[in-house]
Amino acid sequence: MYRIRFHGRGGQGMKTASRILGSAFFLSGFEVQDAPRYGAERRGAPIFAFVRAGRAAILERGNIDRPDLVVVADDTLVAIPGAGVLAGLHADSVLLLVTTVPADDWQQRLNTTGTVLTLPPPGGSERDPALLSALCAGAAARLTGAIEREALIRAVDEELALYPADTIAANRAGALAGFDALAVAAGRVGESGAVAADGYDAPDWIDLPADGVGLAAPTIHAGATSVEVRTGLWRTMRPVIDLEKCHRCTWVCGTFCPDGVIGVDAERYPVIDYDHCKGCMICLAQCPTHAIAAITERQGREADIAAEGEQA
Amino acid sequence: MKEPMYKSARDLPSAHLLGAGTAMCAGCGGLEVVREAYDVLGENTVFVNAAGCMTLMSVYPFTPFRGSWLYTAMASAPAGAQGVRDALDIRRAKGELEAGDDLEVVVLTGDGAGYGMGLSATSAAIDRGLDFLYLCYDNEGYGNTGQQTSPATPHGARTATDGALAGVAGEKKDLFGIWVANRPTYAATVVGSEPLDLARKVARAKSRSGPRLILALAPCPTGWGFEPSETVAIGHLAVRTGIWPLKEYVDGRVEHTRRPHPRLPVTDYLKTQARFAHLFEPEPNEQVLAEIQASVDAYWDAVE
Ligand SMILES: Cc1ncc(C[n+]2csc(CCOP(=O)(O)OP(=O)(O)O)c2C)c(N)n1
Ligand code: SF4
Ligand code: SF4
Ligand code: SF4
Ligand SMILES: [Mg+2]
Repeated sequence: MYRIRFHGRGGQGMKTASRILGSAFFLSGFEVQDAPRYGAERRGAPIFAFVRAGRAAILERGNIDRPDLVVVADDTLVAIPGAGVLAGLHADSVLLLVTTVPADDWQQRLNTTGTVLTLPPPGGSERDPALLSALCAGAAARLTGAIEREALIRAVDEELALYPADTIAANRAGALAGFDALAVAAGRVGESGAVAADGYDAPDWIDLPADGVGLAAPTIHAGATSVEVRTGLWRTMRPVIDLEKCHRCTWVCGTFCPDGVIGVDAERYPVIDYDHCKGCMICLAQCPTHAIAAITERQGREADIAAEGEQA
Repeated sequence: MKEPMYKSARDLPSAHLLGAGTAMCAGCGGLEVVREAYDVLGENTVFVNAAGCMTLMSVYPFTPFRGSWLYTAMASAPAGAQGVRDALDIRRAKGELEAGDDLEVVVLTGDGAGYGMGLSATSAAIDRGLDFLYLCYDNEGYGNTGQQTSPATPHGARTATDGALAGVAGEKKDLFGIWVANRPTYAATVVGSEPLDLARKVARAKSRSGPRLILALAPCPTGWGFEPSETVAIGHLAVRTGIWPLKEYVDGRVEHTRRPHPRLPVTDYLKTQARFAHLFEPEPNEQVLAEIQASVDAYWDAVE
C-alpha cells in the first residue's frame, strides 16, 4: 500500500492535492482513502492531508504514521515542530519539498541520508499559490509510477468540476508540470507493507507520574494568555509600513486589523507586532496613503538577519 | 449609565483589550467585531460562548480575554447567561460583590446557533427580561464545521450543503426583526468595517439593561471564498449595496443609522465572493441575480 502525506498551510490547497491524487489512484484501479486532517484548520496554519492507495481493501484508518512519501508545499513548515512534517519518515521514505533551496542543502540541514527531492514553486514566486495543489498532486503521482497522465488529467477535471474552465485548464497544466518535473524520479516511491501495532518504533517519550489536576491543569488567573501563541508563524507575506508615506491615522489600520496587532508608538506611528500578525493584508488594503507594502516572509527574514548582522 | 462619546473615528480605542494569538483565520470578520466590541464593553465582561468558530479563541491554557469565559452547547448560551447573571446577582445581594466589580454578561454566538438552534433559549431569556447582551457574529453559515447552510445563509449562496447550481433556495432569516418583535431594550445591526457606528451602538447597548442584541455581519474569507485582505472592503460593499442595513431599535422605534445613497447594484458585492461565483459563470443567472436585487430594493422601498 502507498501511504502519502501532504503538508501545507491552510489555503495552499493540500486537501485538494490529496483529492486529486486519490482520484487519480482510483481511476488507475486502486482502492483509495483520502482525507484532510480535520481540526481547527485555519488559513495559514499548518495542516496536512493524506492518501492511502492499495490493490486490496484498505483496513487501516487514521493518520499516516509511517509515510512512504511526504510532500511539503511550504518549506517554512519544516522548522515548525507542531507541523509534524518529518514525523515517521523511514529509511525508504521520500521527502519532496516545494522550495528554491537545493536538495543537498536540505539533506544537510535535516541531517538525513534519506531521499530528498525538490520542486521550484509554481511561477517561481511564493505569491502564486493557486496551482500548488495541482503541482504537488502531479509530482506525487509521478513519484509513485503507478499513475498515467490520462488518469491524472481526469482526476483534475473531476475534482475541480465546479470551477470555471480556465481554472481547470490552469490546474491541468500545473498537474502536468509536476508530473513532468519528476520524470527523473518516476517510480521512486514504493509501496510498504502493513506494519503490525507491535512493529512500530517505540515512541521516545518519557513516562512521568500522573500529577493531580491542580498541578497538571492549574487554574489560569492571568488575562490574555493567548499572546503566548505565535500566530506570526502563519504568515507567508509580511506587511511593512513605510513611515515616510504614513500619515499617522492609526485609527484606520489599528482598528481594522482583526487581530489587534497594530499598536501606536510614542510619536503616534503604527507598529506591527510581527510575533502575531497573520499577514491577512487588510491593513495594506485599507491604508489611505498606500504606506503599507507586502514582502514575502522569506525576504522579511533575510532582511531581519541582515539587520541583526549590522547591529552585531 | 453615561454613554462614552465616540464623536469621530479618532476617538476609537488605540490599545486593544483582546489578546492576539487566537486561532481565528487570517482576516476573520467575526474576530474583528469581537475585538472592536470588547474595547467598548471593557474588562468587566464575562462571555458565554455558544459552540462555533469563536469558541476556538479560548483553548486552555490560552485565552484572549481579560476575564472569564464560559463555553456552552450551541443551543444553550442564553441559559448559560441566565445562570451567570443569577450567580452575580446573588453575590451582589449578599454584599460579596461591589457594584463596580459587577460584570456585563455577554452571549457570544454564531448565526447557526443564533438564528437556529439557540432561538428558543434566546426567546425565553428575552421573555424573562434577562439582563444580558447578545452578540451574534453572522458569517452566514456553520463556519467552524466547513460552512454548511444555516438559517442566515443568503438566497443564492453556495455552501458545503447547497452545492447545486442555484445555491441556497431559501431566504435569509430576519433575526433583528425577531428580536424587535420580542420588544428588547435595545437591538442593533453592525459590521466591523464601520467601527465608529459599531462603537456607538455597543456603548448604547452597554448603557442599558435588559435583553439587548448586537447583530454583526461577519465577512468570512474561508467560508465565503475571498482573499483575507478583502474583509473590510466586502463589509463596506454589504452596506453600500443595501444588503446589510445598519439600524437600531431604541425606545420602540427602528432607525437606520446609514442610508446608502446611491445604492450600488448588489452584483458589486456578490461578485467579490466565490460562494456566488456560480451566479456569474459560465453565464449569468439573471433570474437569481434579479431576485436578490428585488428583495434588497423592496426592503429599502419599505423604509423610505
Ligand atoms: C448540537 C450541536 N450540533 C452540532 C455541533 C457541531 N458544531 C460545532 S460548531 C458548529 C457550527 C456553528 O455555526 P455558527 O453558530 O454559525 O458559528 P460559526 O461556526 O459560523 O462561527 C457546529 C455545527 C455542536 N457543537 N452542537
Ligand atoms: S492607515 Fe496607513 S497611513 Fe494611516 S497610520 Fe496606518 S499605515 Fe499610516
Ligand atoms: S496583515 Fe495587517 S491587518 Fe492583517 S494581521 Fe497583520 S497587521 Fe493586522
Ligand atoms: S471560518 Fe470564517 S468565521 Fe470562522 S474563524 Fe475562519 S474566517 Fe472567522
Ligand atoms: Mg456562522
